[in-house]
Amino acid sequence: MTALLVLMFVLVAGTGAGVVLAREPRRQALAIAVNGVALSLLFVVLRAPDVAYSEIAVGTALVPLMFLAVLVSLRTDRPKS
Amino acid sequence: MTRKARLLVAVLCALVSAPAIAVVIMHIPAFGRHPLPYGDAINHTAGAQRHVTNMVSAVNFDYRAFDTLGEELMLVAAVTGTLVLLRGRRGESLSDRAAQAGNRPVCERSEAVTLACRFFLPLITTFGIYVILHAQLTPGGGFQGGAIVASGTLLLYLGESYRLWRRLVRSRLLDMLEAAGALVLVLCGLGPMARGGAFLQNVLQLGQTGALLSGGLILVENAGVALAVTAGFILLLLEFLEETRATCEGEGP
Amino acid sequence: MRGRGAVSFVPWATVAWLFAVGIYGVITSRHYVHLIGCLTVIQSATYIALLSVGYRFGSVAPIFYTRPPSTPAVDPVLQALVLTDIVVGATVTALLLALTLQVHKKRGTVNPERLRPMRQ
Repeated sequence: MTALLVLMFVLVAGTGAGVVLAREPRRQALAIAVNGVALSLLFVVLRAPDVAYSEIAVGTALVPLMFLAVLVSLRTDRPKS
Repeated sequence: MTRKARLLVAVLCALVSAPAIAVVIMHIPAFGRHPLPYGDAINHTAGAQRHVTNMVSAVNFDYRAFDTLGEELMLVAAVTGTLVLLRGRRGESLSDRAAQAGNRPVCERSEAVTLACRFFLPLITTFGIYVILHAQLTPGGGFQGGAIVASGTLLLYLGESYRLWRRLVRSRLLDMLEAAGALVLVLCGLGPMARGGAFLQNVLQLGQTGALLSGGLILVENAGVALAVTAGFILLLLEFLEETRATCEGEGP
Repeated sequence: MRGRGAVSFVPWATVAWLFAVGIYGVITSRHYVHLIGCLTVIQSATYIALLSVGYRFGSVAPIFYTRPPSTPAVDPVLQALVLTDIVVGATVTALLLALTLQVHKKRGTVNPERLRPMRQ
């Protein structure tokens, strides 16, 4: 049980660093999704199923999609100059 | 500030605060053995006091409902700010086609994607509504279920065309639903005062523990939060996807 | 203190690591959308800190649907704080993304180092 906890914490630390080190924003959107899955698994192991529900729906589906939609708009928008 | 200057300031602050953080980590109670009197009190008494079995919902919608009111109004404010920013500067000249990013081709949807989305949309929506309705019994609530339902409606856009997404998801109705959710929560606060109770006091019938209709005012507040969260997230998705549309020919952005 | 093993440092070390990595990302970012992603990492550090305070060894989740209410359970108050925080944090992230779009429309770039405060 303790080994599982330590493993989940280390996993979340790794995916969190992965989000920051993914400099290309499109790659970072997928890194945020992976981080969301790792975080919700950590929340389940910490006995918090409600929080895991929130994190899965928000961190894996909604936030990466908003990031990708904004990135597409940034590439296709011609700024007023 | 240049980048090097920022990094230098950050390293200095880290050097100053690292010993303080280390001392704090040495002295906090051991992980897994913190004294938690408030949590223990709620775990032991909330079931009998409010006839609910999900203590987190009891805290969210009854014991600390005031914080939930503040959080929901924060959510409505953030969504309103985003909508004002995105709707205010958009012209009328957007079409339904996706804008072309660079020289990437705009592909047709594959049938596998459409099939998968049609299969999962009813499942996810039903699951989200189940999570909302069983807030006080099993893990769930308005916040979680609202996020799940909102991400389920996204499958409409992913699987079908943009035109169908805009036709089925009406932004005026969602505006009203979001405002209605916030209004329900505020009325849950003011309503008990009209009958002589305190702000947000649980004055309804508590029902039987384990039944779907138990918890009293928790159900009404939960419904209000679910409405506001679902409608808020779908509105955000609507506006962000609208930004990716191509402009009509001959018009500026 | 009695019973403190190596496990006791792991949660707080993770929180400090995520916070530091997030701030490093904010400082050295070259794209505003990347900066907003690093802000979500800093937020997740606070969620882990709160939930780690509420954890108890050998306890169950604070849901007593199939268990008697006297089973030792973790703290529900901190979970209530974190779950509303996650959802509201996502909407604030959306607001920041909308601001990024506006900056791009007005100034044509989303590189923080090329956007200086306007004179006068």
